[in-house]
Order: sequence, then structure tokens, then C-alpha cells
Amino acid sequence: MRIVIAEDDTLLREGLTHLLRAEGLDVTSAVDTPDDLLSAIATDRPDVALVDVRMPPTFRDEGLRAAVEARAKWPGLAVLVLSAHVEESYATQLLADGSGGVGYLLKERVGKVADFLDALNRVAAGGTAMDPEVVAQLLVRRRADDPLRQLTPREREVLGLMAEGHSNSTIGTLLVISDGAVHKHIGNIFTKLGLPTTDAGHRRVLAVLAYLRK
Amino acid sequence: MTNQPGPKAWRFLAFGVVVGLRALGLLVGMALPHLPRVMEAVGRLAANERDRVGRFLAIPVPVPSTEDSATTVRRDVRWLALQATGGILAGLLPVGSVTGVAQNVVIAAFWPFIPDAASTLDMPVRSWGDAGLTLVTAAAYGLLGVLVVPPLARWYAKVSAARLAPPVQSLAERLAEVTATRAAALEAHGTELQRIERSLHDGTQNRLVAVVMQLGAVERALSRDPAAALPSVLTAQNAATDALAELRQVVRSIYPPVLAERGLSDAVASLAAQCAIPCTLDEHPLPRAPAAVEAAAYFVVAEALTNAVKHSGADQITVSLRAEDGVLVVEVTDNGHGGADDGQGTGLRGIHHRIAAFDGTTKIDSPLGGPTVVRVVIPAGT
Repeated sequence: MRIVIAEDDTLLREGLTHLLRAEGLDVTSAVDTPDDLLSAIATDRPDVALVDVRMPPTFRDEGLRAAVEARAKWPGLAVLVLSAHVEESYATQLLADGSGGVGYLLKERVGKVADFLDALNRVAAGGTAMDPEVVAQLLVRRRADDPLRQLTPREREVLGLMAEGHSNSTIGTLLVISDGAVHKHIGNIFTKLGLPTTDAGHRRVLAVLAYLRK
Repeated sequence: MTNQPGPKAWRFLAFGVVVGLRALGLLVGMALPHLPRVMEAVGRLAANERDRVGRFLAIPVPVPSTEDSATTVRRDVRWLALQATGGILAGLLPVGSVTGVAQNVVIAAFWPFIPDAASTLDMPVRSWGDAGLTLVTAAAYGLLGVLVVPPLARWYAKVSAARLAPPVQSLAERLAEVTATRAAALEAHGTELQRIERSLHDGTQNRLVAVVMQLGAVERALSRDPAAALPSVLTAQNAATDALAELRQVVRSIYPPVLAERGLSDAVASLAAQCAIPCTLDEHPLPRAPAAVEAAAYFVVAEALTNAVKHSGADQITVSLRAEDGVLVVEVTDNGHGGADDGQGTGLRGIHHRIAAFDGTTKIDSPLGGPTVVRVVIPAGT
């Protein structure tokens, strides 16, 4: 897997590069500005770009803007955005183009290397990786008459993991339940929320996230 | 005596009778139902009069700010009472003077044709000599008007202007207010520093100490039995993750990162989007304000939304942000059941204190039955 990294903090940039190379992944460039990111993508044509939100020159949301711009310029380019804090509105912006290969995670998730690599692979393969905290932000703001209230605690867990972008088998492993049980929960969730049953994959994640954002 | 040309003063005073009669009508109307509509009419009449007096004096009468509508209403009503009495009386003088001249001149000229003719002072007119006296009376009416009307008009206009303009805050009053808000600001700042210190010291710092201790254990374990290192590594990792989560909370409470990255409008839009009650944002282009002002406005909206969700029972909230000359106006309106009181809720009191520190004003309008409007005006410091 070919990866381009854009992170302005030297320690984090080198740590991330080192960690990914140690896992046998091909980090083709590691840059520290949004402009360098765009030119690195142009030359390296990576499978996925890892991008920090806050970058020079103004240290606002340059990284996020560059990520959105890169996806518009190279359709199908997978982007995994990393940040010290997550905002649901940023996730909305990343997902706005409706195509797959999007991730948005807290930087510290890198520390759980196996989970992080799983997310990276998912995004590179056109899937989705949403930080549990984004999903939590989406889940807290619910009204008293919200259909979400009708979900059982287990169904809420399954919904959350779906929103994070996990596949049925991963959800089964994480919750220690059988694939059949996962399937049944998902069926119940879609019925209770009145969502059309979508096939697994990015379309399902988008449908769930769109429902939660409503 | 006056820099106003004569006829203008006469017209000004005489038209005051019309205004006075309307004022009288409104005073009576206030005793009837539909008070809000009467008060609207009072406001309009006062506004018109402000214009008229301002034009007459050639000095515009300052318009009271809408911030303090209760005081404005009280002043408008007091002006109404003045106009309904003094205004009518003063206005009768030019009217009386003109009619006095006209009437007496007519009587003096046509007395032979008028049965029981008498001057307006009740002197019978039975000869041309009496008619002459009547002409003198007419002249006296005219002279009285010419001498008294212009200064009276000017004096009355000034009295009206004083009643119609917002009260002038004396420098001493202003100084006392600034001193008080400054003390409140220092107090609030101190409390804030203590809060930040506590959460960093008791939370984040302790977690990081735990990380270092666990790493120490790892170091020892690696030299003795590498397999035993794993649990400590995992514990250290979890402790560091907790420290980061707490740190994010503290950072968010000091200055929300989204504010730094996106500015006030977008930050508030994200608050609105996360609100449990449908919340629309009435947006106007905002110039960047000092960071402290933007943060204050952001926390006001956050607090007001939290309050509305917890207590109002509303199903619709509107947040409005706009810049008006030199101030930032924040308004959060919900259609809930009202009855919010900043003397009770700590949230609303918190807003009050936070805004007072910026020399801003907070107004909470929440009649029983709703709607509740939290309105905050912060000087933008530009």
C-alpha cells in the first residue's frame, strides 16, 4: 500500500512514518504543508493520504481543505484525516461528495496499531472509518420522540459500529456474537429506523451517518 | 431671543395640540385591553415627536437604544403625560393668540351688524370708540403671542427633548459601572484559572504520571521477563489515552479548537447542528472579533442551547448572530414555555457574569408561556 503523510509536527510525522514502515507499508512521501501534500499526491499517486487537519500557514483547517480539494481533483483517492479533536461538521464535509475511501480519526487512535491498520486498510479499499467520538457526537443529540430510542442497547452498539464503518464480521468479533446475530440486529435497526436495507459497505455507512445527521 | 424664524415656532407649538390630543387618547387607551398594540402606538408617536422636536431644535434627539426597552417605555409614558397636559396648554397659546386677533379685528370692523357685540374680553362694543378699544385688545393678543410664543416654543421643545432622549449616564455612574464589571472580570478570570489548574493538575497530570510509572515497570520487566511487559504497556497506553481525552475537554473549555479553525459563524453552526432540539441559525456576515469576544459569544450560545434543551420544552430554537456598529449581538430564541429566570438558573447567571466582564449586557425575556429570548450584546472592541 502506497501512503503519503502530511503532518506538520516533526515528531508525529516521523513517528507515523516509522510505525507504518515497520508494518511493511510503503510511505512514499512525508510532507508538512498542504501544498506539498497536493504535489506529493500528484507525483506519487498513493493509495491513501494521511492528513492532519491543522497545518501551516495559518494553523486553522488547511489540512482538511487540502484533503477535500485532493479528493475533488483525484476522484477515488482515499483520504484518512487525523486530528487532535474531532468535529462532527468536519466529518460531514469529508463525506459530502458521497464517494468512499474516507476516514476521520483522533490522532491517538494510531496508538492502537492493529485497529489503526484495520481502519487504514478499510479506507484504502474504499470503505469508511469514523472515529467513535464522531459517532458519539451524532448519537447524543436525540429528541425524546426519536426512533433511536426504540433501539435496544445492543442494537445501539451495532449501529455505532456500523457508523464507524465496520463490516458485519468485525462487528461480530468486537461484540463477541455470531454473524447471524449481527445480521438480525442490523435488520431490526433498519426496520425500526425506517431505512431501506442497503448492501454492506460504504453505501450502508453513508445511509446510517446521513440518518444520524438528520 | 431665538434663532428660530417666528412662523416655525408658532406652527411647532400649535401642532403640539394635535400631538397632545393623540397622547391623551393613548393614555386613555392604556387602560383598555390590547396593551401591546397601544404601547406600539406610543412608541411610534414618541418616535415621530423625537423627529419633530429634533427638526425644530435643529439638534437630533438621541434615540434610546432598544437594549433597555422597559426604561424606554417608562420614559415614553412620562412624556405622554407631559404632552397630554403641558403640550396642549402650550399649544393653545399660539392658537389663542391668532384667534384672539382675528376675532377682535372682525368684531371691531363689523360691530354694527353684530347684535350684542362684545370683545373677547367681554367689553360690550356699542360705538366706534369701543371698536378702537377692541382693536387694541386684538393688538394685545398679537403682542402676547409674538413675545411669548417663540421662547415658549423653544423652552417646551427642550423640555420635550429631555423627556424623549435616553437618560444621560453621568461619568461617575459610568465609572462605578466599569469598576464593578472590572472587578467581576478579575473574579471570573481567577475562577477560570483555578478551574483549569484543577483539571490539569488532578486529571491530566496524574494520568501522565501513571504513564511514566507504567513505562518504568516496562523497562524493568524487559530486562527480567519481556513477556511480563505487555500488561504494563497496555495500561500505559490506556492512561495516556485518558489523559488526552481529558486534555481535549480542558482545551475545549478554554478556547474551542473549532473556533480557532473556522471562526465564530461556523463554530456556532456546529453547536446548532449538535443541538437536540431543531435549531436554525440566522446568520449575518460577521467581521472577526477579538478571540475573547468570539469565545464569550460561543459559550453564551452553548449555554443558552443547553438551558433550552434542559428546561424550555421547546421544539424550535433560533440562534441569531450579527454585528451592529461596534457590538456583537447574540440572540437565542426558543418557543418553549418560558419562565426562565437568571436569578435561579446557574446557566443563565453564568452568561450574565461572563458578559458583564466584557462590559456587555444580557437580557433574558421569558414570560410564562414563552417564548424565551436570551439576548446578549458584547462590545466587539474594534
